Amino acid sequence: MDDSRRPQPVGVELDGLRKEFGEKVALDGVDLTIEPGSFVVLLGPSGSGKTTLLRCVAGIERPSSGVITINKVCVAGPRTFVQPEKRKTAMVFQDYALWPHLTVRKNIAFPLGSSSRLKEKRDQRVDDLLDRVGIAHLASRYPNELSGGEQQRVALARALAADVGLILFDEPLSNLDADRREQLRIEIATLTREAGATAIYITHDQSEAFALADRVGVLNHGSLVQFDTPENIYRHPKNAFVTRFTGVAGEYPVVAAKALDDDYFEVTLPFAPSHSFKALGVDCQGDSPVLHFFVRASGVLLDAPGRDEGVCAEVIDVAFNGRGYEHVVKVDDHFSLTKVFSVRRFERNANVKVSFDPSACFLMPAPGKGMS
Amino acid sequence: MADVTISTTTTAVPDPARRQRWPAKSRFSLGGIAIWIVLLLLIVAPVGCFLILAVSPHMFQQGSQWFTLKFIRQAFEGYTGRGIFNSLWVSTLVSFLAVSTATTIAWLVHRTNIGARRLWSVSMWLLLLMPTWMMTLGWTDLLQPYGAAHAMGLNTSWLYGEFFGPLGIIIVLTSSALPFAYFIVSAGLQGLGPEFEDAARIHGAGRTRTFATVLPIIAPALLSAVAISFAETMSDFGVAFTLGYHAHFPLATYTLFSAISNFPANFSVAAVIAAVLILLTIPPIALQSVVMRRSKSYAVLSGRTRAPRRREFGRRSRYLASAGVGLVVFVALGVPIIGALIGSFVQNLGDASGAGVHFTLTYYAQVIHPSIIGNGLGSPLLLSNQLGLVVASGTGVVAIILARRLVAAHGGWSQRITDIFLLGSVAVPGVVLGVGYIFFYNLSFITNHVVDIYKTLPLLMLGLVASALPGQTRFMAGPVSQLQPSLSEAARVHGATRFRTWRTTNMPLMSRVLVWGWLLTFTKTISELAISQILYPPSQEPASVTIQSYLANFQSGTGTAMTVLTLVEMFGVIVLALGIYRLVTPEGWRRTGWSVVN
Repeated sequence: MDDSRRPQPVGVELDGLRKEFGEKVALDGVDLTIEPGSFVVLLGPSGSGKTTLLRCVAGIERPSSGVITINKVCVAGPRTFVQPEKRKTAMVFQDYALWPHLTVRKNIAFPLGSSSRLKEKRDQRVDDLLDRVGIAHLASRYPNELSGGEQQRVALARALAADVGLILFDEPLSNLDADRREQLRIEIATLTREAGATAIYITHDQSEAFALADRVGVLNHGSLVQFDTPENIYRHPKNAFVTRFTGVAGEYPVVAAKALDDDYFEVTLPFAPSHSFKALGVDCQGDSPVLHFFVRASGVLLDAPGRDEGVCAEVIDVAFNGRGYEHVVKVDDHFSLTKVFSVRRFERNANVKVSFDPSACFLMPAPGKGMS
Repeated sequence: MADVTISTTTTAVPDPARRQRWPAKSRFSLGGIAIWIVLLLLIVAPVGCFLILAVSPHMFQQGSQWFTLKFIRQAFEGYTGRGIFNSLWVSTLVSFLAVSTATTIAWLVHRTNIGARRLWSVSMWLLLLMPTWMMTLGWTDLLQPYGAAHAMGLNTSWLYGEFFGPLGIIIVLTSSALPFAYFIVSAGLQGLGPEFEDAARIHGAGRTRTFATVLPIIAPALLSAVAISFAETMSDFGVAFTLGYHAHFPLATYTLFSAISNFPANFSVAAVIAAVLILLTIPPIALQSVVMRRSKSYAVLSGRTRAPRRREFGRRSRYLASAGVGLVVFVALGVPIIGALIGSFVQNLGDASGAGVHFTLTYYAQVIHPSIIGNGLGSPLLLSNQLGLVVASGTGVVAIILARRLVAAHGGWSQRITDIFLLGSVAVPGVVLGVGYIFFYNLSFITNHVVDIYKTLPLLMLGLVASALPGQTRFMAGPVSQLQPSLSEAARVHGATRFRTWRTTNMPLMSRVLVWGWLLTFTKTISELAISQILYPPSQEPASVTIQSYLANFQSGTGTAMTVLTLVEMFGVIVLALGIYRLVTPEGWRRTGWSVVN
């Protein structure tokens, strides 16, 4: 990309951002600082407030209170509200939001204005973008003549055409099939970083979040629960919600727990009273009412039954995923483990031994989930 | 990788100044207040004041009683009572006839490979534009003794007596209600993807069971069609004023008109009839609105919309189905047009003296050279066109603003009241508005302190705008609600101002509905009878009033020729406007958005 055209990435700061829709609180005082040039993914379930947050940054929604600063300029505050067209942002919408009456070329050219004086430059820029997203042959088509993946490429090209320092992505891959998601995810990551813009991307898919992000923010009920690198979120989740939402193979109530010298605990689980398991304690100090043991899929080791270590279990399902096999394993009548990976296939009903890697096991309070 | 710093809600130190709640957005906007003032003067005040007379004639110096139920009793007796009863049963029957016929045609046109589909859709539009008094005129010319049918060698004397009674009224009103039902059911069918039918068939349902399974999905559209057909039929004045009057079969709209046009005028009885008309019409329309909102049966307009699949008929079935639809269209549209054409080109039609019928251009000559009979069509038609131009443009602007408010996502109570109000206004028949206007704008308080436009053209214009506005708003609200908000949001986020967003995004997608909305109001205004008949200023007759006076003065040939020319002019404007639209708009505008003919 021509460096002279490269936009200056901008920083974004949210301070006490709150948004209410009638009685419903969509955002409950979110504070967040995003440094220029970073790719931030906001991860959360439906209704967690991530779309509202993005729309507030874009200027489509007006916050109820709090301050939004883009590039050190307050764009939303008690006495300020900068209209969306003045914020110098671009956005890729979940439903693509391509204008059906405009061709692909005109859709992409939209952010470049309509001045006839700049037509040549504009055409050149659009040609360049069409090439970069691989849809040059579709330039004269209309949106309803394109597949979902092609439409999303047009939406991406339109956002890049704006040459702005901040690009917003509203679950752009959620309407696509698995293959196209993977392909477009890579293109979004590459092209956005090439463009040098800051990106805020929202999704409910943790694998997408981890694959794309420099930093991941996990939202729940309108609050930002954790904001960190993908590695830290996975290895050091802040609470039970983050742990669950970023993927666990199993979660079990704890029968007994004893603190060890470091941050680790020795834990007894209901399906293996004679075994003890080691887990990293999170917020376990004091008198935590209900403690749960969580294990990541990557921390479960599956082995043949002849091995001495581990807990006896039975395979109840196995699925080939290309790189190996994902198993569902029953450790007793009430508890099981899912997504247990092994390069070796264990057949259904086969007896196996299961052991846990302590670095992928967590002990933490789990409010709302009693002992079962 | 860039550095990212974080402070979450649990660790950040609260800064009271930054946590300050933003000032709440004002619930009252100047635009909203302006709209309400316009609506108040256009509809609420004239109709409201007029309706009060039903129980309190003294309030506006129309009698001595502050409160009485006498006029309610009076309205339900004798001639006026018969009018209310007739209107009720005729409207009920017509709505069911129209919806069953329209549903069959809509299904054939949209979901099968029946021939000439565009022709049938266009025919429905022509029917929608054709006023009922024109239809009545065509039928009368055709069936009258020694009329057009007789001139063609057909013996229709057996039908004449039947036509001048409930049968004729039902035929014309069903023809008139047909397009309303057709367009509503069509919208429902288009929103019904083929997957529902496919799912039923795949899971073992035969054709009948599949139909029974899918039918409830379009039931809201059917219910809406019944409601709108009922309301339109109840409100019709054209048939009541022509066929109903001549056949001595009173309908409520005519008895209301005669209550104020007879001497002495009885505004209180007229107000009771008006209230009955409104009260009978509001429930079905309100029900329709609720059902449509809950069912969300309209397809969302986006770049991803896919067309439903059509059922393939064999050649024989295809011909039979086409012939069936053709027959309905011929009866509803062809017969009145043929009747009117013959009536305008054949001399001595209806003359039993044996003078002999023959082709003539005399009537057209009389229309074009007013010196022959003193008052031609030229200036009334010109006036009607001017009225049409002003009313269609004014209504179009206000209707699009109102439609946007109606479908706004966070409209709150103001939106709900506007919605309820517009719903109620659709239920106000033109004749009620007209009578309300001559009463309200003649009140001394209004003429002395507010505005003095009684017996002037501006009052007629206002009446026509008020009559067209609710329907036009609801007509536009459908397509406006189909516009995905993200299309406008995308434009704003990518740097477009509000105006550029409207110009480049909303207007192209709405262009067809804007053009058709304008044409609909324009043509309806040209042929409008109820308000024109009541509010036209002295010596400034619109075309429809002039035509009626010719017909009433036994100069039916000239009146019919005027009708044909008015009709030709109406359709000519439509063809011209659509031709210009096709020539001047980019291809993308015509490919997408709300469509008239599918």
